[in-house]
Amino acid sequence: MDTGMILYLLSLATMTGLYAILTLGLNLQWGFAGMFNAGIAGFFAIGAYATSILTTPPAEDRFGGFDLPIPLGLAAGVLLSAVLGYAIARICLRLKSDYLAIATIGIAEILRLILRNEAWMTGGNRGIAGIPRPFEDMEQPWGELCFLLLVAGIVVVLYVAIERAWHSPWGRVMRAIRENEEAAEAAGKDVVAFRAHVFSLGAAVMGLAGGLMAHYLKFIGPDATEPILTTFLAWVMLIAGGSGNNRGAVLGAGVIWVIWSGTELLTQRLPPDWQTRSSYIRVFLIGLLLQIVLQRFSHGLLPERPPRPPESDSG
Amino acid sequence: MPDWSTVLDFVGLYLIPGLVTGSIYALGAIGVSLLFGILRFAHFAHGDLMTLGAYLALSVVTGFGWPALAAVPLAAAGTAIIAVGLDRAFYRPFRQRPTIISVIASFGVMLMIRSAVQLIWGVQSLEYKSGIEQPLVFFDQLRIQERHIWIVGATGLLVLALHLLLTRSRIGRAMRAVSDEPDLARVTGISTERVIQFTWLIGGALAATSGVFIGIDSHIDSYMGWNLLLPVFAAAILGGIGQPIGAAAGGLALGLIEELSTYPWIGDNPLVSPDYKTGLAFTIMVALLIWRPTGLLRGRQF
Amino acid sequence: MFRSFGKLFFILAAAAVFAMPAARADDQVKIGLLFDVTGPVANFVPPMLDAAKLVVDQVNAQGGILGGKQLATVVADTQGAPQTAVDAANKLVNAEHVPIVVGPLLSGTVLASAQSVIIPAGVVQISPSATTPAVTTLKDHDWVFRVVPSDAYQGPVLAKLLIDKGLKRVALTYANNDYAVGIAGTFRAAYKKLGGVLSADLQHDEKKTTFRTELATLAKNKPEALVLIAFAGASGVTIVKEALEGGFFTQFVGTDSLRDKVLIEQVGEQNLKGIFFTSPSSPPGTPSMDAFEKAYSAAFQTTKDKLFIQQVYDATFLAALAIQKAGSLDRKKIRAALRQVSGPGGEIVGPGDWKKAVDLIAAGRKIDYQGASGDCNFDKSGDVAGVIGHFVIENGSFKQVGIVTP
Repeated sequence: MDTGMILYLLSLATMTGLYAILTLGLNLQWGFAGMFNAGIAGFFAIGAYATSILTTPPAEDRFGGFDLPIPLGLAAGVLLSAVLGYAIARICLRLKSDYLAIATIGIAEILRLILRNEAWMTGGNRGIAGIPRPFEDMEQPWGELCFLLLVAGIVVVLYVAIERAWHSPWGRVMRAIRENEEAAEAAGKDVVAFRAHVFSLGAAVMGLAGGLMAHYLKFIGPDATEPILTTFLAWVMLIAGGSGNNRGAVLGAGVIWVIWSGTELLTQRLPPDWQTRSSYIRVFLIGLLLQIVLQRFSHGLLPERPPRPPESDSG
Repeated sequence: MPDWSTVLDFVGLYLIPGLVTGSIYALGAIGVSLLFGILRFAHFAHGDLMTLGAYLALSVVTGFGWPALAAVPLAAAGTAIIAVGLDRAFYRPFRQRPTIISVIASFGVMLMIRSAVQLIWGVQSLEYKSGIEQPLVFFDQLRIQERHIWIVGATGLLVLALHLLLTRSRIGRAMRAVSDEPDLARVTGISTERVIQFTWLIGGALAATSGVFIGIDSHIDSYMGWNLLLPVFAAAILGGIGQPIGAAAGGLALGLIEELSTYPWIGDNPLVSPDYKTGLAFTIMVALLIWRPTGLLRGRQF
Repeated sequence: MFRSFGKLFFILAAAAVFAMPAARADDQVKIGLLFDVTGPVANFVPPMLDAAKLVVDQVNAQGGILGGKQLATVVADTQGAPQTAVDAANKLVNAEHVPIVVGPLLSGTVLASAQSVIIPAGVVQISPSATTPAVTTLKDHDWVFRVVPSDAYQGPVLAKLLIDKGLKRVALTYANNDYAVGIAGTFRAAYKKLGGVLSADLQHDEKKTTFRTELATLAKNKPEALVLIAFAGASGVTIVKEALEGGFFTQFVGTDSLRDKVLIEQVGEQNLKGIFFTSPSSPPGTPSMDAFEKAYSAAFQTTKDKLFIQQVYDATFLAALAIQKAGSLDRKKIRAALRQVSGPGGEIVGPGDWKKAVDLIAAGRKIDYQGASGDCNFDKSGDVAGVIGHFVIENGSFKQVGIVTP
């Protein structure tokens, strides 16, 4: 197998890893705490922009460019996302699941609009270029391989940490809250605080995904935070993989990203006259394949634990 | 006492555009609200139903040479039928499952509708009719486009018709029953499936009408509905989920707020910078969700 | 409905996706088109793909490339966002092994794909339309080129044209995308420096469907004209229409993004008196522009004046010339060859002159490609200086009436 193909597979795997991190963060909020976050794009964006502003060299037309080391940038993104997540959770926690969803969409869109319009801070539509990437000075494909190992390592660490948390006393409280909120409250547990903590943790993980993505792409702009490529994709990956299920989150990330990217290899094979339309056919194919995956594997690809929706009354 | 000229400016440049935008939001929001009340999921493909309606009308206009407004019934009927079909193929399998799965399915349907539109009609920006339309002028200063009168008027009539349908007709009462008390409704022998199909028909038809109105007022392109989806959701929330007439009011309110927010209330500059207009809709929506999650028309029956 | 069909589908799909890339037919040379097919500029792309196809057809009709091989293009869709752009670039550069890339169109996707894939892999990328100044200063080891002048250039030119025409007090509105924001920025600074006054300066959201309230603000204090930097098919036409209907403005000024046939079609020439535009162009009297227009109209029977099709054509033709000159698919050789065939200096070759170029190259002579969009002479950063033309509307289409220099 030639270097080129290796590089392509490395990039597929890296993207899968980055989206796996995003989806694991979502699963914390949904699988653990039953909270429907439809504003993933917002936390992703904070993580991405925070690290970009901090780690790039100075630029004349924009605030930032402090040239700080990458871990610091990532940490800042994670922290900011966590804080925002906590704030949102505390304010919105009284809302039923679907309302929380719409509230989070609204907040994410406002955030994205600010990022797009306030060019003095974020570069606006121009975005921020020249973001450093770990291992970029190494020659191909070793640099890419090292980055992939870094991402994969983070996925593993997160996975293990979350699984252990789930089986810890704290995790038991979360499960109790999910299954019967009133009983847990009666037993003296501060339900709101627990949920807010989990939401915040999930947000932090999403911020990490965003930050790592920015470093991987070496560029960030408002289009990278498009809801389709962040919120939508993470949800599809989680549900297709088996919602409420960490292994499913990672597998879902892989399958869906391969579908998203790989369908183009299919449509590229169409005769040249179809070239103009092949991209639309590809999007249609993605939508269709999604339906197939949902219907065929309607409990998710790894249905260890059927999804449990949160306590919801009618209406 | 503000001078007459300022008042006319206000009406013509801010109030009426607000009503027009509001009408478009209203028609989309009603469908979203109905679907949410009866099917309990947020239909993310609704914007693309609006797009579909606009394009179907375009085919009628280019095929038969009718004016766009005359094409509305056909476009609405076509979209309504397609909506029912989509439900059967992609949403019905998940009736008994958690609604999140239907939401995800609707994401996929959204992609399918949009790419189908792009494949069939192409991606160019299109129009029902080219050229400028001279406005009607009142009092030498107030300019009103004829098409705006049609849009706002038609929306008013449709909302009225819907209200009558929901309060006076059997199917309408059945819809309200399923929306408010689903278990009770089933027990009393109401065919839930029939109600659901009817809801899709209405939702699809109204979405299509909204789409055609967008096309009449500006232009037609494959992202037109998607661009409006979130404001439409905001309007539905504003009016109270599951309250279609409330959603109409919410849509109208949102449209007015958006346009009026850029009026120079204080000093010479717009109160809200135009590139944050969309942000305003969301801010209101979020604020409402936090402080009054049942919407403006809490407790009001439709 | 999908039970067994789904299983079968999955097996087929998996097989196809992971099969080796389609037999790299040895008698085919592929140019990679890294385009933003879906996403914010979707409606401009189909005519651009046609322009690229025109190159392919001309080359294949005139003897093929690298000794009679067929030229072909392979398209990868960036979807308009950085992460998918990097993925698409990877597919083209690493999976399909294309020797050269044309595209992307958006500044953001250019920067992402360049930094993540193009530069590390070492392959030439020629963007037809990315105008951000950041591309000029990119540390790209000379892999990244573009055939459109940076918008650091067009803004001051627009300002000068306005002043020359005596329009000293105008209103400005621009869409919230990177192209418009960029030109607006350089225009604003230059116009003020030349003593012009902006009575209103508003960014607008191009996804909205109406702009009446923006126009009300813009028309306050009665400026002499509206400078509108927006894509015609997105917000441009709507703003012009609403401005005319509402009696806000009659004098409009635009850039190449507004100079789209769709403006004439949807607004009507009779309503657009006095409108003028700046747009990257060729020096008047060059046969290149005419040659391209003729060939394009003959092949596609579509209306002329689609955005950036000249640039796409030139980029693709240059790519083919570079491959031919390099004599192989070696990416480094192609980079060197690109500079050699683009000029300056050498015998002039224009759009459609494939056979002539091949013969000259074979005879060891230097050629200088002069394109439909300009003379395409790359400077040391891979940029072109470009020439900005002054356009008006005449007889239902756009006519260049002069060149503007800052």
